[in-house]
Amino acid sequence: MPSWQDFQPFLVVGLALGGVYALSGVGMIVLYRATGVLNLAFGAIGAMGALIAWQLINGGINEWLAYVVCVAFSAVLTLVYGVVFGPPLAARDPLVKAAATLGLALILLGAMDLLWTSNGGAVRSLTLATDSSTFTVSQIQINWTQVIALALGVVITVVTGAWLRYTKLGTAMRAVANDRQITATLGVPVRRVEAAAWLGCGVLSGLAGLLLADLVALDATTLTWLVISSLAAAVIARLRSIAVTLVAGIVIGVVESMLVPINSLTNYADMTPFVLAGVALLVVMFRRREITVSRGA
Amino acid sequence: MGIGEGGHGGQAPGAGQVAGVEEARDAGQALRPSSEGAARGPVFAISRVRPETWVRVAAVTAVLAFALFAVPVILSLYYVDAMTQVAIYSIVALGLGVLVGRVGLYSLGQAAVLALGAWTAARLLFATSLPFPVVLLAAGAITMVLGTVIGLPALRLSGLYLALITLMLAGAITVVLSTVNFPNGGHGFLGYNGNLIHIPPIRRPSLAGSDAAYYRYAVVVAALMFLLVLWHVRTRPGRAWAAIRQSEPAALAAGINTTRYKLWAWALASFVTGVAGGLLAGSAHFLYSIDFPIQNSITLLAVVLVAGAFSLWGAIVAGLLLQLLPALFQNWGVSSDWITILFGVGVLQVLTTAPRGLADQVPKDLRRLGRLLSGATRRAAPSRTGTT
Repeated sequence: MPSWQDFQPFLVVGLALGGVYALSGVGMIVLYRATGVLNLAFGAIGAMGALIAWQLINGGINEWLAYVVCVAFSAVLTLVYGVVFGPPLAARDPLVKAAATLGLALILLGAMDLLWTSNGGAVRSLTLATDSSTFTVSQIQINWTQVIALALGVVITVVTGAWLRYTKLGTAMRAVANDRQITATLGVPVRRVEAAAWLGCGVLSGLAGLLLADLVALDATTLTWLVISSLAAAVIARLRSIAVTLVAGIVIGVVESMLVPINSLTNYADMTPFVLAGVALLVVMFRRREITVSRGA
Repeated sequence: MGIGEGGHGGQAPGAGQVAGVEEARDAGQALRPSSEGAARGPVFAISRVRPETWVRVAAVTAVLAFALFAVPVILSLYYVDAMTQVAIYSIVALGLGVLVGRVGLYSLGQAAVLALGAWTAARLLFATSLPFPVVLLAAGAITMVLGTVIGLPALRLSGLYLALITLMLAGAITVVLSTVNFPNGGHGFLGYNGNLIHIPPIRRPSLAGSDAAYYRYAVVVAALMFLLVLWHVRTRPGRAWAAIRQSEPAALAAGINTTRYKLWAWALASFVTGVAGGLLAGSAHFLYSIDFPIQNSITLLAVVLVAGAFSLWGAIVAGLLLQLLPALFQNWGVSSDWITILFGVGVLQVLTTAPRGLADQVPKDLRRLGRLLSGATRRAAPSRTGTT
């Protein structure tokens, strides 16, 4: 069993990863509540944004501009998908809507593998500008990217929560989440509210893509399916509460990372999100509280 | 297949007695709502069903004969190998089709179940000298038990949550398999020895050692699995599944034990997928956990949706899309990434415009085209003017 000293750096890594999981989870939940679409292409969109940023930086463009392009690309792509495929699928089952986003994920994944081939073992890496400035807390080196990842997770959750509660658009979004038909009857521009949710989700996917490319790896397949780990946090929150998502995301990130230094468990560390989400689902199920929300949204 | 509907002229006498049974079966078929079937008069139904049934039987026989005898002769070894994979993945798609198309349960973890079946079969083939068919059955049975144990709690969840938990389970199984590895003739329960220099290949049935023979073997097993599923679909469970898919509360009210039949579908799907895993182990000789990424489960669902989850032909189309298409692309020198893109576009297209998939849409479109071409000269059969 390693000592506490060995765990400390992993705690930092885990908190950063947890921040991104939380951020992704919040993005997916807000979209799911507002439109009924569980965006399984979240990871793929962010991955493509990160790869574009990498390409731009390699082409000699200012780093910060590249980051902005990444987020903008992700936001626009998500919005376009939402505007094009949202309405025709609006009346369908949430399962069908989620399956359709898998289509988008596959298209993006194929396109990324075509454009940025991994032949010849070319390993890309995206190092954010904030990586280079570090500081030390009780002998652990922490870089600003890690701080930003955790802070963003917390800030985005708080801001989204406040925004949903206090702004006009946020109230409209909650109304749409409750009942789309009645909200539309009351004169709320439902399509515009949904577009706002898509845009927000897209911005978050871009941010998550950038951060994960730095924290984990800049690899199309890895980043695309990392959405499953992020999804675990949202599932634990029953696709409902963003506060629970924040906590769950951070717990998953920390546990996943802290298992790495334990020799006997290091290979199973990647299972953490799945196991925690599975246990959470089972607990919820046995407590038999309204789990039949499949028709809701 | 089964598009051109020849031979609806005279039928052999004596087939009349069977017609009633066939008609009853057809009405119980899960494909269309029962009210629609009841709206048609029985006279129309009998005259309509009989030729179609014979066409169907003839088409199936023709396809099977072609697959068994023509394919290994016509095609090169490269494509025979690809066709073996088609047969195997048709079974997997068949299992997923039962879940998605018949009961309405979306599983995002079917490739992980396939990996479980392959692991079990490989372990048994190394550990025992049991005949290959017995190993296949055992792999199917063990996968069925595992699938049911996993499915029992999961099935109480509804729609989207079930899909998500299967995705999580697939993720977990993928991680475990990448650590445990596939058996390679080592000792112990897991049968993996990382230091082994000479790895023995996974054995094949004695009568199907060569690739062509193994291909025929796989086709026969696939045909048996299709029969098994067809039997289920045409009898009591199939009707129960159809009721559950259309409305679970209504099915419950009609006295159907929904949990039992859902679990039944789950067990059946796991069984056939486990058998497919066994075939896969025999065809591959060597198995590596890297060949079972989580992406496969997702591609599998996408392809089954594209090919059509509501018909058994859809499973064959799915097998062809999953395995023959990549082989063709590789031969033509086109990157396989295009296939991923194609599947993605296919999913979006199918979900927005043709919810029943290619297996339903293409014959329908062809029939429409045929009607356009033959125009008014075509003999107007009153029973055919209705909806298809």
